[in-house]
Amino acid sequence: MNTRPGVSKSADALWQWLRPKWLWLRSILMGRGMRSGLVAKAIVLILLIDVALIYVHPILYMLSTMMMSTLDLVDPTIRWIPTELYWDNLVKAFEGLEYWRGLGQTVFVALIATAAQTLSCAVAGYGFARYNFPGKNLLFMLVFLTFIVPPQTIVIPLYLLYREFGWLNTYFPLIVPEMLGLGLKGSLFIIIYRQFFLGQPQSLEEAARLDGANSLTIFARIMLPLAKPAVLVVSLFSFVWHWNDYYLPSMFISHQDKWSLVRRLQGLQQTLDEIYDVNPYGLSTMTEPVRMAGAFLVIAPILILYFIAQRWFTESIERTGLVE
Amino acid sequence: MKLKLSLAARRSLEGFGFIMPWLIGFFVFMAFPLAYSLYMSFTEVQVTATSINFTYVGWANYVHAFLGDNVFPIELMAFIQESLISVPIIVIFSLLVGLLINEDVWGRSIFRAIFFLPVIFSTSQVITTLFDLGAGGGSFIQRFNVFNMLINALPESLNSPVSVVLSRFTLVLWSSGVQILLILAALKTISNTVYEAAAIDGAGRWEAFWKITLPALRPFIVLTTVYTIVELSVSPFNRMLTVINNNMFSVRTGMGYAAALGWIYFALILVALVVVYTVGMRKVYRY
Repeated sequence: MNTRPGVSKSADALWQWLRPKWLWLRSILMGRGMRSGLVAKAIVLILLIDVALIYVHPILYMLSTMMMSTLDLVDPTIRWIPTELYWDNLVKAFEGLEYWRGLGQTVFVALIATAAQTLSCAVAGYGFARYNFPGKNLLFMLVFLTFIVPPQTIVIPLYLLYREFGWLNTYFPLIVPEMLGLGLKGSLFIIIYRQFFLGQPQSLEEAARLDGANSLTIFARIMLPLAKPAVLVVSLFSFVWHWNDYYLPSMFISHQDKWSLVRRLQGLQQTLDEIYDVNPYGLSTMTEPVRMAGAFLVIAPILILYFIAQRWFTESIERTGLVE
Repeated sequence: MKLKLSLAARRSLEGFGFIMPWLIGFFVFMAFPLAYSLYMSFTEVQVTATSINFTYVGWANYVHAFLGDNVFPIELMAFIQESLISVPIIVIFSLLVGLLINEDVWGRSIFRAIFFLPVIFSTSQVITTLFDLGAGGGSFIQRFNVFNMLINALPESLNSPVSVVLSRFTLVLWSSGVQILLILAALKTISNTVYEAAAIDGAGRWEAFWKITLPALRPFIVLTTVYTIVELSVSPFNRMLTVINNNMFSVRTGMGYAAALGWIYFALILVALVVVYTVGMRKVYRY
């Protein structure tokens, strides 16, 4: 037994007894090697909660404000929880948006565009991933180019083109490019599919070819069903982005009864501005709950979809090899 | 030998068949409008009820954009300054959040669900509505008035872009949805065995982050940066979009001028992307 000078025997024994416990406690708190300790975990958790608040706050604010009556709004003691659930704002927004009509149109266009894009981009991505032909690399560069061209740069010629085709105020400009693998972020989807198909073993196609399947059969019966994770990611993104799409539709569709929900929301705001700007005392806070209710109505269907699909969605992203 | 060659030719023809729909679409909806707008940018466009007339004006539109216009250059400079501040914020923020969610913490799936919310909202007009009405607050930054402290500490010339970005700080963070996804997916590509090996060699988490995670993430960080620049340049909050639109339907300047502005804008973004890509992807020789 080696005793240190100047330290009494009992203190030394205490230290001997305490040391392993101290080390154990330290490894729990501070972590050891690659394992993180409780302190690190707590810090991560606090950081995550604070960042999450940034995202949740506006949504909670929207939900709480749209339920407030004018009385609640001007009452400084009421910040989050309205005294009663005041449904009038929702009703007003509902009427102002012509909600059912707008919803029908938005769902209709978004569904068709999504289906078209999901399939057409898969076809192009498959071609780029699995075949060799002259000029392939150049063509793929063009896919990238398509991705980075700002819509503002080409919107005028597109407008003239669609006018020539007689497509203004129809849904064709929002659907036909999608059928050909272009349209809203089409190149991004082609790139995602290409990455996915590149990662699949070549032997699948070879085996099918030996069994006498032709290229289209191979694509439709073997490769596309394999690509389920990619299909899920692309279709969800595509649907959400088409739902929210604002710029191009607002350029090509001026008839109010063909507006999508997002466009209608903008219209609702303009209407409210016009009504309340006439009156110099018309506080914008008066219209705020109606606007919030409108925003809620526009985003609610997609939020519901998101919370249903969220689990598969995150899993699929990990399996698509989105970035490899 | 001959049969094999023709087989290869047939394969490449089939491959071409798969690309064909996209290629047609590309020519109609991308190449043609691009060429057309390039042509328009050198002309003055007069739209009448029955026809559109183009008068060739050479570089006049481009010259006017920088020397005659008193809105465009200012807005462009503001846009560049804001982007120079926003892009790093978004990239670093998504990197941090990606790393944090990748940690094994309690409630991970709830956090994931929340952090992907921007994917839904960021392209939406809804979020502008919310922020216009002041729903953006709530982070510690606003509560402690960090904004004013920061702005006061900065030199005069940086004041305005920084204050614009900061006033929309949470909005900037809202545009990082897909970026977080990219980082998260990238983190999955790093094999766990690398970390185990490093742990055996006595590396802590801190070293592992700097020596393993960050170098492995580098190409993906470049990718995220590229994506962010593209997103910012087409986002609905973009001030350049408003400028171009205003000119498009203005009687004084017209579509030819708007097309020229569109091309200047596009060229600028292209240059930015090329710079980011070449700088980010250049070979780094370690050791």
